[in-house]
Amino acid sequence: MIPQLEISNDFGIEVHTTQNRGFTPEEIAERCADKIISVSDEAHPAIQAQAHAFRKRIVQLVGFYLREAVKSDRTTVYNALTDAGHPELAELIRRM
Amino acid sequence: MAFSGNFMCTSFKKELLYGVHDFDLANGDTFKIALYTNSASFDASTTAYTTSNEVSGTGYSAGGGALTNVDPTSSGTTALTDFQDETFSTATITARGALIYNTTPNTTSISVTNPSVVVLDFGADKTSTAGDFTIVFPTADASNAIIRIA
Repeated sequence: MIPQLEISNDFGIEVHTTQNRGFTPEEIAERCADKIISVSDEAHPAIQAQAHAFRKRIVQLVGFYLREAVKSDRTTVYNALTDAGHPELAELIRRM
Repeated sequence: MAFSGNFMCTSFKKELLYGVHDFDLANGDTFKIALYTNSASFDASTTAYTTSNEVSGTGYSAGGGALTNVDPTSSGTTALTDFQDETFSTATITARGALIYNTTPNTTSISVTNPSVVVLDFGADKTSTAGDFTIVFPTADASNAIIRIA
């Protein structure tokens, strides 16, 4: 028997979109968690429960640090706008 | 004239044997993803990027977006590679599918320009309005990765 190479056409792509806003940290955290952990439907129930608990913790943790990054970036934008002579616009950003 | 499923381009498979494509993150080729309307007609016989029926709109430029490679790896007897998710930010666009292609192929042994890699069918029109349009690639494992050789 000759060994065969196979390149699969069987893959799933998802498209996520938003309307008049960007993704929230929570939405991005969910995507991030999906990259880190997947839970098989065929796994033992105890393993599934443990994996789901781990995934939930990942979502919380990643979501928190994403929010931290957003806040920190707004500080950077605030200062850039202030330095550029747009204090009112900077204040709008700070209050978001 | 419409998308009819996902396809790994036949020309891509041949080009792998010519060493045209390098998916290494640090030193590999630049792959891009272009978005198309449902008027596009792509299948396994698609060989290269085209501007025909490519979407247009705020937040999208012809040619699409550059992807971030993920170093190829193996799992069991399956070799695989992946791309990081791609987002078109503050975009107002509608797309039905996409084409991933290589903008910097190795043409030492074969002459190709913007050779296609894979055709993606979103299954329905996807729209963002002054928002984010994100293509989420599947889990990079032996059963799901977008490019895998078993």
